[in-house]
Amino acid sequence: MKLASTLFLVIALVLAVFVSGCAEDTADQEEEQADNITELTFGYQPSTHQIAYLTAREKGWWLEDLEPYGIVSINDNVFPTGAPEMQAMLAGEIDVAYVGAAPVIAALANGLDAKIVAAVQIQGSDLVLRTDLPYESPEDLRGLTIATFPAGTIQDTLLRNWLKENGIDPDTDVEIKGMGPGDAMTAISAGQVDAVFLPHPSPTMIESEGTGRSVVSSGEMLQDHACCVVAVSGDLIRNHPDIVQQIVATHVRATEYNSENLGEAAQIFADDQDWDVELVNKSIADWDGSWVADPNLIVNSTVDYAQVQYELGYISTPLTQDDIFDLSFYDALDQ
Amino acid sequence: MVKKHIQVLKEKSVEIISIFSAIVLWQIIAVYFVGNKLYLPSFTDVAGALVEIMSRDSSLAIMGLKLQLPMLVVDFLFSMMHFSIGLVSALIIGIPIGMIMGWFRTIDRMVDPIVEIIRPIPPLAWIPFAIIWIGLNPFAAGFLIFIGAVFPIMINTFTGFKSVSRVYVEAAKVLGCNTNLELIRYVALPSALPSIAAGIRIAMGVGWMCLVAAEMFGVSRNGLGYQMWHFYDLHRMEFVLVYMLILGFLGLFIDRLLRYYIDGKLLKWRKGVVI
Repeated sequence: MKLASTLFLVIALVLAVFVSGCAEDTADQEEEQADNITELTFGYQPSTHQIAYLTAREKGWWLEDLEPYGIVSINDNVFPTGAPEMQAMLAGEIDVAYVGAAPVIAALANGLDAKIVAAVQIQGSDLVLRTDLPYESPEDLRGLTIATFPAGTIQDTLLRNWLKENGIDPDTDVEIKGMGPGDAMTAISAGQVDAVFLPHPSPTMIESEGTGRSVVSSGEMLQDHACCVVAVSGDLIRNHPDIVQQIVATHVRATEYNSENLGEAAQIFADDQDWDVELVNKSIADWDGSWVADPNLIVNSTVDYAQVQYELGYISTPLTQDDIFDLSFYDALDQ
Repeated sequence: MVKKHIQVLKEKSVEIISIFSAIVLWQIIAVYFVGNKLYLPSFTDVAGALVEIMSRDSSLAIMGLKLQLPMLVVDFLFSMMHFSIGLVSALIIGIPIGMIMGWFRTIDRMVDPIVEIIRPIPPLAWIPFAIIWIGLNPFAAGFLIFIGAVFPIMINTFTGFKSVSRVYVEAAKVLGCNTNLELIRYVALPSALPSIAAGIRIAMGVGWMCLVAAEMFGVSRNGLGYQMWHFYDLHRMEFVLVYMLILGFLGLFIDRLLRYYIDGKLLKWRKGVVI
């Protein structure tokens, strides 16, 4: 009996050592695999704001530039607005997001492990009012129904803040309806809302149909306000800073290329989204936005958004610049 | 009195232990295994969110009056309004069409192909036309619920009418029921009632599921489905789960209420037939 017990103990011990050895090996292998990522997933939205991503993809720059770092495939997902895009990032489904700065704030406040590493563009949204409605000042909006992106997005944050600054209570004096771009455009075309506040190219599309006209550009609401940004997961930043550095460099290259080749940028967007290229060209000519990559330009307005979202009760704690940005990658490009 | 309560607790002990165990398991998994509110908020997170929701007020404008009520009450009222519009419309349209299709073969042959083409289209796909045709108002939300609810009612009514025994019809004719209206009123409708009731129960379930989709495209700023989307946009998953659970419990309550009414009152005469 004693012999049997001793034998059992020895076997159990040997098995334990063996299993722990295997576990250690597996852990090592996993760590090694984590070190060598081969795929990157991007998120973006169907807006002329984010053509830089499409241009770099169309020209093969993402893969070409990131191949030396072991990346063999680039995947992407299109999202109607920033909220679901950030939800996907929170769930670890995307590594790099072309997205509005405001949804990043809402997600960061709810535990997103990511940082904004570059700007994508400033301004570039319009308040479009139905053609038959008069507009001279924000007072004319009192009592109207305005469709915009849902709570926690750039457009929602900016519109509510601007209305408040002009003495209009966004909760009682107007009716703000949160919708995706397709629903909002349908709603104004069908006369179901009085105005929409959307990023380009949607305002140009509505104007071309003759149902509405742009009355306020977002730059008039807040000059040089932050809009879209490049947000990168914390995992990439900590474990693969070289890849993030290259993502920022490629983004800068695409941004500069677009600014110098407006027609080609419009064509790339039109091809990706099945839009009429003439409309896209018109949108790029009409909008008040600019494609910029330097995140230093948008730091203040983004931190302001965080404050506004905190005051609106969207987030429970105000965020600081360090919570939101990692400027080191862009700043390193100059050296 | 206390003894009675203890007796009830004893009788329900299995159910109570089951629910309590599920809550404990949920809490342990959420805290110790998942450890991330986004993936699975714990029971205490959800309870905290419920307390916060209960403490918030919302205004309800009704007939020129602006009432300040708990947010949950206002959301419930809005959702019930959307649901009622959809379900009542489905009953008003679904039952007569199903009856006519089931009774008159030519009309069935005319209507059936159209119904069968429209029936598989998911309610969500109707959102663009709901906006264009009806607008951003409670009736648009009701329309989506109607789309989800009308076909189960129609098909079950049709099946009920198709299954009316020929013997009953012949007997009714012998007894003096000669017109279609009389035969439908005194023979077919009572005979098809169990099938119609089953259709209404299915329709209520489907309609309730459509509520979340119906409140997602800007029809109102209140409603259980709307709030669920709102908190999803803000990534507050514990709040999303609160609203999911509320929708689940209310769905269950509505179903039980309907069963009580239909089985206990409307189909009381069937007692002993199947139960």
